[in-house]
Amino acid sequence: MAEIGQHILSAFDRDMESLQGLLMRMGGMVETALLEAAEALDTRDSDLAARVRAGDVAIDALEEQVNTGCARILALRNPAASDLRTILAVMKIAAALERAGDYAKNLAKRTVVLAEMPVVSGASSTIRRLAKAVVEMLADALDAYIRRDLKLAEDVRRRDKDIDQMYNSIFREFLTHMMEDPRNIGPCMHLHFIAKNIERVGDHATSVAEQVIYLMTGALRLDERPKFDTTSGATEA
Amino acid sequence: MTNVLDASVTVQAGSAKIKADAVQVYYGQNHALKDVNVEILDRAVTAFIGPSGCGKSTFLRCLNRMNDTIATCRVEGKITLEGEDIYDQRVDPVQLRAKIGMVFQKPNPFPKSIYDNVAYGPKIHGLTRSKAELDEIVEASLRKAALWNEVKDRIQAPGTGLSGGQQQRLCIARAIATSPEVLLMDEPCSALDPIATAQVEELIDELRSQFSVVIVTHSMQQAARVSQKTAFFHLGNLVEYGDTEQIFTNPKDPRTESYISGRIG
Repeated sequence: MAEIGQHILSAFDRDMESLQGLLMRMGGMVETALLEAAEALDTRDSDLAARVRAGDVAIDALEEQVNTGCARILALRNPAASDLRTILAVMKIAAALERAGDYAKNLAKRTVVLAEMPVVSGASSTIRRLAKAVVEMLADALDAYIRRDLKLAEDVRRRDKDIDQMYNSIFREFLTHMMEDPRNIGPCMHLHFIAKNIERVGDHATSVAEQVIYLMTGALRLDERPKFDTTSGATEA
Repeated sequence: MTNVLDASVTVQAGSAKIKADAVQVYYGQNHALKDVNVEILDRAVTAFIGPSGCGKSTFLRCLNRMNDTIATCRVEGKITLEGEDIYDQRVDPVQLRAKIGMVFQKPNPFPKSIYDNVAYGPKIHGLTRSKAELDEIVEASLRKAALWNEVKDRIQAPGTGLSGGQQQRLCIARAIATSPEVLLMDEPCSALDPIATAQVEELIDELRSQFSVVIVTHSMQQAARVSQKTAFFHLGNLVEYGDTEQIFTNPKDPRTESYISGRIG
């Protein structure tokens, strides 16, 4: 890290930097995939959805590269202290991004199916708003990582409850649609999986933020975050 | 669920064996060690790390009064072994060194047989009454040093004829033959190959169930592997002292961080 200077072995610094580069590229691709998947859903654009699906391969490949790079540094450089915490954090962040990428791909898949079904009014734009909020969280979590910004990381961690609340209201909205008209059940089931998946991306953004906190403080946040997803107990709208 | 990382720590480290209180060391005008306060635990391995000239070896040599042999060296402050001041005038340094044994960087067996190398300490300290008893101590020490099986058939051969790694283990056997309470090791593996190093490290790990072991090492990985406590010295100061796991994953002082992560500190 910048504040304690460079390694005596400059190749060590280069290895670490290339790892950061890969991680940031991966983050950018995941953000784009999520936004485009949500856009495709909203505009019923099957071509865009297909492109998002195809793009996931590249995200997976990047994760492999990050893992290989981490293994290399662990084997050759014996990282200690903040270097070690960085490697551990990078591996976990890459895994979180890869999962988020999978959710974007799943969203795109369902978009193709949904394009053949009747429109549920208002639903896809609500989901697009949810996706935007989650992508913002993810972007901030990655920013917090790059800038080693503890405050921003804590902020991201807190914001997960807003995502949970948005998801709760979407859940109730879908229940209402389905009760009003059984023909909505098919599309609403798909839309609900989508909303749940995006909410899960929010959890992954939170875990990225928690890795930043670990990286900077050496302590894992084991205290329970306030949870606002109440749908597991819900029986009616 | 128990933390797997704790496995190495759970061998119950004892209470403080050696206490250093405001220790200062001067070589002539040079203030080599500045106000060192530390408690070294019984039945644990404590590693001293730090760049060359940081004072770690100087401090190690204070612990069994090896610095007495250097005319210009002056030690201030208080060092106690189980509450007894080791710099007290009534303490005989030779007796003290039987209690606090030492192993050096380069294996330095006496130009005598393997047997005599180990038997020397117990003999001069009069620890045995019969030949049989002495034989027993020699065998037990060589077994503890994991050397017995390799030398039992040539126990009267010269110690200097052994390989480097075997010579170092012979020196460890010699050091533990007087049943010391503390074993000081100054870079015990720096002249050894990785296999012999691993054998000595394994030995250190076994010895800590009986002794308090203090090891000075330039290999950070070695400190991380063998010790439970680590002390980082820099420019004559004891910068940080703590659990080895904490020092290597989350050091508190930026100087420690710079040093162990290989940065220009």
